[in-house]
Amino acid sequence: MSTPSQPSTVITAPGHNHGPLGQRLLAAGYINEQQLNEALAAQSTVDPNEINHLIGRTLVSLGHLTPSLLRQALVELFTEECRNDCGLSGVPPILSMKGVEKQLDGRMVLNGVDLEIPEHRITAIIGISGGGKSVTLKHLVGLMRPDRGTIMVKGKNLYALSVAELQRVRRHISLLFQGGALFDSLNVFDNIAFPLRETTQTSEAEIHQRVMRALDEVNLAGMEYKFPDELSGGMNKRAALARALITRPEIILLDEPTAGLDPIIENAIHHLICDTFMRTRTTMVIISHAIPAIFNWCHHVIVLHRGKVRASGSTPAIRESQDPVIRQFIDGDVDGPVDIL
Amino acid sequence: MVAIGPHDVPPSHRTPVELRHHADWFLLLLKIRARSTLSNKTVVSELDIPSSRTDTSFIPRLRTYVQHLGSYSIDFTLETGKMFIFLAQTLRAVPTPPWRWHNLLKQIHFIGMRSMFVIALTSIFAGMVLALQGFYTLSRFGSEALLGPAVALSMIRELGPVLSGLMITGRAGSAVAAELGIMRIREQIDALEVMGVPPIHFLAVPRFLAGLIVLPLLTVIFDVIGIFGGYLVAVQLLGLSAGTYFGGIESAVSMHDIHTGLIKAFCFGMIITWVCSFKGFFAKRGAEGVSHATTSAVVLASVLILVSDYFITAIML
Repeated sequence: MSTPSQPSTVITAPGHNHGPLGQRLLAAGYINEQQLNEALAAQSTVDPNEINHLIGRTLVSLGHLTPSLLRQALVELFTEECRNDCGLSGVPPILSMKGVEKQLDGRMVLNGVDLEIPEHRITAIIGISGGGKSVTLKHLVGLMRPDRGTIMVKGKNLYALSVAELQRVRRHISLLFQGGALFDSLNVFDNIAFPLRETTQTSEAEIHQRVMRALDEVNLAGMEYKFPDELSGGMNKRAALARALITRPEIILLDEPTAGLDPIIENAIHHLICDTFMRTRTTMVIISHAIPAIFNWCHHVIVLHRGKVRASGSTPAIRESQDPVIRQFIDGDVDGPVDIL
Repeated sequence: MVAIGPHDVPPSHRTPVELRHHADWFLLLLKIRARSTLSNKTVVSELDIPSSRTDTSFIPRLRTYVQHLGSYSIDFTLETGKMFIFLAQTLRAVPTPPWRWHNLLKQIHFIGMRSMFVIALTSIFAGMVLALQGFYTLSRFGSEALLGPAVALSMIRELGPVLSGLMITGRAGSAVAAELGIMRIREQIDALEVMGVPPIHFLAVPRFLAGLIVLPLLTVIFDVIGIFGGYLVAVQLLGLSAGTYFGGIESAVSMHDIHTGLIKAFCFGMIITWVCSFKGFFAKRGAEGVSHATTSAVVLASVLILVSDYFITAIML
């Protein structure tokens, strides 16, 4: 796992729509002004977010930048953003849970969970196994009904909606399941195209174009006709991530996206999530056990313990927390207040 | 010195204080039994009470039996209710667009076309054994000429739909339950829901419709091949004339008999796909759960076929 390097000062270039990435690349000395202008001239879009994404790809395709330097610049940009983003109180929540309780097989899995997920941010939910993280995620998409409490999605009470309304709301949310949940009977292309075909009126030509682009983004180009059982765990995860992103949802929930993967693939998935966020500014919620790596890839952290939110706040605040439970979890100590059996 | 506990004193010799002490022990035991998941023997050994005394205690045992009976009754009612809600949701989803013709054709191919061999094999031997047994019985009364109608009526009214139903349950119903069960434990059904694709509409409806369409067609094929199997034995093996065998069929079999068989097949098609889809849909707890769902789907569908066969026959006679 490579740790993002310290960000350097961003050079602003008045009058030039370089986008934050362009400025970062210039500031870090990865490219010069002439190369950036050449890349900008090759762009047709004026959307700053798109430029942010496309400028990097164009620079790589023109040979002015290596892919690894591009990834490094994106990570630096993201890290700097996370570091400066301590004022989460001003960010409106797009998802929230209030007093949510859930009992499963006689065990209280959620015991009054109150949490808020800020919009246009990456939030990580951490905690020990069996602490209710995946159950929380399933409640946020309406796969489980709470015994008590309310869940609000974009200002709407999820469990007061009709079935049709719930389906409409769900189309704004994507969930990356822990095991990928790709359909075994469909190949990678059809799996990724599935939500577009089933829930939109997109033409087959556009579906083809978008799927191929998504495959390229997750580095699975050429794998479109493979079936899920022919792919490795990392490839399955990336294909599932491409399926989650293909509809351009407003909220993406990721249930342990790097679980069971080797460090290289884990890093690649984190870069992919970072790249997607920098490009689309989609609200993301990540459940992860990749401690402390996950702290480099999120703005906001929620710690779940014994079915309750133990702590919630910006990444630096949680990382430096002196709460013995959080410290034990971050440090991975066997001894401490957390029962491991 | 032998320590004497409250149990060692005969009831007639006990003082009111001792009796209250004894009642306290009993209440404590009941509370621990209710709260603990440990077996009675373990609880008793922890309390250092002779196990032979408590194991034979009638009231706690009766209480346990009643609890189990109540638990099974509640589970059975809940399961039955869930099954009928699932059927109602499936029926409600049938006329709702979008109609996934491709999925329907795929299921018709899977349940129907790929079951043809087993249906043909079963039906030809069913017809042959029926002719053999029928000839042996009818020849005692000198009624060999009735062999054709006996085979045909048995096939069309009873054996065709029932054996087709049982064969399809074993071959396709188990596969439906296992496939949906695996989709459930691998969270693929949840994935459909999250994507805003109603799983019942996407998964259950095509299978349900395919069952309704395929079972009557397979039953007709079963009947025809079965009658042909009877012909092979009766005419080619036992020397009955082809005219006698087929001539009797034409005059004995009415349209009502054919309708009865087809209505049965239609109902069995519904039962198989409904039960097997339901069991697969709600499979749980990993591979063992899928295995259990598949087994219970096949058993329940087979039993329901035989039970409903009686009632349909009684109504249609």
